[in-house]
Amino acid sequence: MALWIALALALAFLVAFPLIKLMIASVETRDGAFTLNNYATAYGRARYLEALFNSLKLGALSAAIATLIAVPMAWAVSRTDMPGKGFCWAMVMAAFVLPPYLGAIGWILLAGPNSGFLNVLWRAVTGAEDPIVNIYTFSGLATVIALHSFPLVFLFVKSALDLISSEMEDAANILGAGTFATMRRVTLPLAGPAILGGFIIVFLETIALFGTPAIIGIPARINVVTTQLWQFFEHPVRMEVAAAYAMPLLLITVAMIGAQKLLLARKGFVSQTGKGGERREIKLGAWRWVMFAWCAGVGLFAVMLPVMVLVQASFAKAWGRGLSVDNFTFRNYYHLLFEHDMALTSVWNTIWFSAAAATIALIIALLVAYMVVRKLSRFADALGFLAMAPFVIPGIIMAIGFYAAYASPPFAMYGTAALIILAFAARFLPIAFANASAAMRAVHPEMEEAVRILGGGRMTAIRFVTAPLVKRALLGGWLIVFIVATRELSAAVFLVGPRTRTMSVLLYDLSEAGNFEVLAAFGGILLVITMVFVAVGMKLAGRDFMLRRS
Amino acid sequence: MLISRRTIAALAAALPFAARAQDLPAHERTLHEAARREGELTWYSGQYSAEHSETVGRAFTARFPGVRCNVVRSTSQVAFQRLSQDMRAGAAQCDVFSSTDFGHYSLLKRENRLLQYRPENDAGLFPDLRRADPDGYYHTSFMGLYLMAHNTRRVPEADAPKKWTDALDPKYRNQIAVGHPGFSGAIGIWAVQMRKMYGWDYFTRLERNRPMIGRSSLDPVTALNAGERGIGLAVPSSSTSLSISRGNPLKLIYPEEGVLATISPSAIPRNAPHPNAAKLFMEFTTSRYLSDAIRPMFGDPIHPDTAPAEGMRAVSEIRLISPTQAEAESGVPEVRELWRDTFGV
Repeated sequence: MALWIALALALAFLVAFPLIKLMIASVETRDGAFTLNNYATAYGRARYLEALFNSLKLGALSAAIATLIAVPMAWAVSRTDMPGKGFCWAMVMAAFVLPPYLGAIGWILLAGPNSGFLNVLWRAVTGAEDPIVNIYTFSGLATVIALHSFPLVFLFVKSALDLISSEMEDAANILGAGTFATMRRVTLPLAGPAILGGFIIVFLETIALFGTPAIIGIPARINVVTTQLWQFFEHPVRMEVAAAYAMPLLLITVAMIGAQKLLLARKGFVSQTGKGGERREIKLGAWRWVMFAWCAGVGLFAVMLPVMVLVQASFAKAWGRGLSVDNFTFRNYYHLLFEHDMALTSVWNTIWFSAAAATIALIIALLVAYMVVRKLSRFADALGFLAMAPFVIPGIIMAIGFYAAYASPPFAMYGTAALIILAFAARFLPIAFANASAAMRAVHPEMEEAVRILGGGRMTAIRFVTAPLVKRALLGGWLIVFIVATRELSAAVFLVGPRTRTMSVLLYDLSEAGNFEVLAAFGGILLVITMVFVAVGMKLAGRDFMLRRS
Repeated sequence: MLISRRTIAALAAALPFAARAQDLPAHERTLHEAARREGELTWYSGQYSAEHSETVGRAFTARFPGVRCNVVRSTSQVAFQRLSQDMRAGAAQCDVFSSTDFGHYSLLKRENRLLQYRPENDAGLFPDLRRADPDGYYHTSFMGLYLMAHNTRRVPEADAPKKWTDALDPKYRNQIAVGHPGFSGAIGIWAVQMRKMYGWDYFTRLERNRPMIGRSSLDPVTALNAGERGIGLAVPSSSTSLSISRGNPLKLIYPEEGVLATISPSAIPRNAPHPNAAKLFMEFTTSRYLSDAIRPMFGDPIHPDTAPAEGMRAVSEIRLISPTQAEAESGVPEVRELWRDTFGV
């Protein structure tokens, strides 16, 4: 009983209170009187409304591109005999861990209309006047976002495809359908819910994204919800207006999830039966190279090219001067590692904030999952719902909620490490919860019952039986939360203090300092750190720990 | 390779700072003792570029050992946004606030947010820069010169603009880069000045030339270095010169109407957690040691004992333009809104 009250309090603190506070703030004046003026201010100008429409358009376009990129990849990896699947996995994984704002900077270097490498190359080869790609456009912005969010669709769709047995495809083949007709009319529709789910996730991620729209959107002259929210935090800080402005975003999110449920509720997508069908790879013949080229192309554009130009810039004196010996320098790294006041502190902040947040999230998630799976309390499902709720709250809105709830006295947590850690923990609680409950489901209660029969308490059973059994799965969950926390920007940017800046926030600060070389070098450091942790994760939790979906 | 020329220059510049306690003037020694007990200060800086700010922070600690300077560098409006967020949350985190938008200071002073303190070293600044506030709530710590620059490969000398209004010529369509008044304090001041001289029409016409809009006033320098754009508007002379010294094909343009000067102060918030360190930092910024520290990187000295960096024109030879503080305070929020209406971001 004490446990569940403690859990309820923890969840109330992390999830419910900031949200409620946000809703209250949106209908209050600064003195606490009821008002609807905040909504009038938030939606009283055409420019503010336009930002909202831009966000919706951007979300839809990015999600569409990401789906287009990811579905063929997922199909090829899951169902066919395409070569180079390991490479394909690596690219998806790399695109997943590459922070989106870093990819955005890479793409500025690649596709600036005049100076971008791709355009310089294009002009040199064809003698054309006009650039082949221009990053500073709506479609450019959407493509860059899609290139860093397609792994989400890939993960959803691939795990769905993995479950479909070849018999269904065989049936179509026997009735005369070719490989591609089968894919189109049987396999993909069966994966429909997963595709839709992936689409929605990318849509939600995109409308909540702050870094990429700030870095590319401003020169491209595209204002979106997140950059507009940022403007409401200019002096005088109009948190109430920001809260009001954020409400529709929250509603849209809830509506999308609801719509997904409705759409899928009445159809049958059962592909798993008790009979355990056979799963064979489809022989693609020469087409397997086409599919491989597709995957390699995605890897090239999402990972290899951006990372390459970033690395080049990080070792350059002036990136515009390109590759040459006299343009090579370690100065940018030296500056960050030995001269910069905050660089190393922010590295350390990032590591320990993320580690602490991952630990907190996982402990809470584990306990809640235990109660839900073992049905220990009538209220367990309510707790489970709260643990999953942050899933539908865009990070930047969560940050504003945290600012509204805990920045001022009596909590007075603004600028403290604790505030950021708790915000991260809340933001990534759903990931931890999904992992923990999957792990819990895999442990049959009879093993715990054995302990109870022999006189051990529930805690003894958890400690000596359940915990060791789920250890590996939880380690994977911990690492995922840790890694996504290290790249989190939108939740951090409103909550950091001078000494609690994380790498992502410092990168954002550097991005407005007019020095791309140092910025790229700092990105390089961030990437190396992430790679170390991914490597550790693969070693300890299995090669596919990032990509397992449960 | 590891120890670059710049590092050596920075070290050389730092050497004379390592003053022993008895070498310090009496008022600095007393403050240093008190500041040492506080151990550190946090500096919200939008005035100097990121590189300059880091150098200044290190030079301060070198001169006053035992007092660390936490440099929080951003654009001026973002620094002000952070300060406002602190104030709104009732959190005391900032010890010294430095912004290129000098309108911020009359506002903060009126709201009674600032600590009254006149550094003794203020009397040693260039005469025009002394006593920025007669009541002693803020003091000059920065003089930025904002002018134009061109990438000589993209826009040859003969075709380059000579005046601020030349930038409106349709031949510069898709050639111009500029910062954003919602982020950069200096760009806000510049926009107020342009509006004062030419009306808002200057910007509606500028918009037709499709300028590339960054955030910081430094962003155009990056765009010029890369060859992304040919002309930078309202770029800082210091960072542009630093960039030229590194081999980028840029050239400064001194507009005929005058160079925008932002003579900007720093202030100590009333609730500063390290007031003595903050006062000591104010003494430092008004002493020659700040000017000495930024000189190797082409910063504009505010102390007469420091000569301008090599190749830089002395301020006395340049025609300067600038709005008044009152114009800045009311004007910057206005031009920020107008800008967003005109340019969409």
